[in-house]
Amino acid sequence: MTTPEESVRLLAPSSVVEQVSRRAFLAGAGATVVGSSVFLTACGSDETSTGSTSGGADEPLEDQVFMYTWGEYDSPKVLKSFTKEYGPTLQLDSYNSNEQMISKLIAAKGTGGFDLVVPTGPFIPQMVDNDLLEELDLTRLPNFENVDEAYLNQPWDEGNKYSVPKAWGTTGYAYDSSKISKEMSTWQDFLDVATGEASGQVSILDSPDNLCGLYFWANDINWMTTDPAQLDACEDYMVNQMAPHVKRFDSYPGGGGIAEGSYWLSHAWNGDARQGIIDSGGNDWKWVFPGPRTEIWMDNWCIPVGVKNPNAAYAWINYVLDPKVSLAELSYIGYHTAVKGIEPAANEAGLERLDIVFFTPEQVETMESGELNDAQQRRVEISNKTKAAAGA
Amino acid sequence: MAWPAGLFFIAFFLIPVAVIVVISFGYKPDIFSTYALGNWSFDNYRTAFDPVYAPTLTNTLRVALIGTFICLIIALPFSYWLAVRVNPRWRGLLLGLVLVPFWTNFLVRTIGWQLIISPNGFASDFMQNVGLIDQPLELLYTRGAVQLGVVYNYLPLMILPLFVAFDRLDPAMREASKDLGANRFKTFTQVSLPLAMPGIVAGMLLVFIPLMGDYITAEVLGGAKGNMLGQLVAVWFGSGQNWPVGSATAVLLMALILLTVGVFGALGLILRSILRARRRVEIVVKESA
Repeated sequence: MTTPEESVRLLAPSSVVEQVSRRAFLAGAGATVVGSSVFLTACGSDETSTGSTSGGADEPLEDQVFMYTWGEYDSPKVLKSFTKEYGPTLQLDSYNSNEQMISKLIAAKGTGGFDLVVPTGPFIPQMVDNDLLEELDLTRLPNFENVDEAYLNQPWDEGNKYSVPKAWGTTGYAYDSSKISKEMSTWQDFLDVATGEASGQVSILDSPDNLCGLYFWANDINWMTTDPAQLDACEDYMVNQMAPHVKRFDSYPGGGGIAEGSYWLSHAWNGDARQGIIDSGGNDWKWVFPGPRTEIWMDNWCIPVGVKNPNAAYAWINYVLDPKVSLAELSYIGYHTAVKGIEPAANEAGLERLDIVFFTPEQVETMESGELNDAQQRRVEISNKTKAAAGA
Repeated sequence: MAWPAGLFFIAFFLIPVAVIVVISFGYKPDIFSTYALGNWSFDNYRTAFDPVYAPTLTNTLRVALIGTFICLIIALPFSYWLAVRVNPRWRGLLLGLVLVPFWTNFLVRTIGWQLIISPNGFASDFMQNVGLIDQPLELLYTRGAVQLGVVYNYLPLMILPLFVAFDRLDPAMREASKDLGANRFKTFTQVSLPLAMPGIVAGMLLVFIPLMGDYITAEVLGGAKGNMLGQLVAVWFGSGQNWPVGSATAVLLMALILLTVGVFGALGLILRSILRARRRVEIVVKESA
């Protein structure tokens, strides 16, 4: 005789009965996402409008321009106004040093996807030798005539075949006078205070040549020296004496660190220091143009091989060479933009802290340019070892 | 039918790792080239093993181990509570809430911490107002900041496997344990925890291994003192343009991870066999005469 199947009745705790159902999980997550996204769009920033392409252009401009450049190196207002006037939106990617930029371009070898790069002058010849840069068609840049002749035909690019000057500047440092009692004016002062009073509150540029320059300039040595003894002395000093006192290797202290109060003493490029000093408000932060030597660098607009949006790239370069736009750029980035009449225009506009932007001929005399020479790998090695020693 | 998985494994794991190992024996011919094969030598390993980089190694190991440990002690009670004690109706929602920060970009999350703990930031102001500290907060750009950032970023990776492990526990086991007279603590340590151990090990591996190679947290929050091996590899490949030395450092990092996992795995196995020996229950059957 077969017994009919009986249903089983269980007395069980409720935690056994329900498992996490996928639906419940998605519902919970979805509610959170929808709620938070509504909240976020409510406090969103203004959008860049993509206006119609300019009617006067010979060829239609593409939709986007990919710029590989230094940090905080273009005024946001100028970026927006270019998009409004001409149409293409600008996508920026940034780097800390020329070496970083070059390694990315080499690795990509023409497929990097960038339409504009901004190398420092001395790096251009080798970039040309390695087929990284396109020759410029200057007829597509009517505003090129606005560039001050004094800055054209540099030794690294006679005839401006590959580059157009963007900005030039120098390297110095800024310090918080409310925290540091010493009056500072030279590189030796920087080294003394960094290893003394301001120990643990110092930022140094994250760039191998500038890092070594700290030691060389303080000792009145050309910072591009290839003398092994001098390089060894530099390594010994930076790794053993300087490294333990560094708080951060920061190429853009003006972009955040100075205003945040993270540093007392910051090694910086002049325009970046100016941004930090202005942002921090008050009169505590002081800029120093140090002696006996320092750097002169010039950054240039270049178009890399493999450019996807050439028309828009030329339109942008032409746009920033306009004197009014150039002034707007200067007021944000704080660097001399090499355009005719920019200094009187800036003075007339009453921009802040122009003493950090324009330099006297005597100051320019003390500046020396960098170069890509045999000591470059050694400088990179010194920089790496200093960073490693700083983490100890 | 295992060949798709095998193919995936070969293409996306074996080949890339093999490429790195091969390049690590190469050399850098000139300033503008990143690497060249040939001239096989151990020179790059000699550079990578330079004692000046030793502090970076120990720092990375310390941050990774402490970070994994902190993640574990935060996630363990939370996952247990979520899996066992929470009303099933809310479990899905709470789990979703744990995961939502994970959907924000990793870099954005970390930069958010940079703003919060900066000396002029929100946390600093709050702590000064409340009286916890009398000077601006000195947390940003220290090793502590990296530790904080790392635990924040990797905690969900620990919570999830632990949650799954505890969720799979058969409640009957816990009931049986209670019926046999064990208190809550004994039940947890001798029943739940050993049963969930595979999940715990999975969580620790999921956190420890990526943490050892972490680059973003150290770069954004660490400053000079928070230097980690991931940054060193990135610098060799990036501004150094030296792929051979970078590859050698990467191989060093992988070897260090394997070594640490191996050592802790062995310790774990030894511990387990000791505990098992101590807890062994002998069942003696008496022969009736």
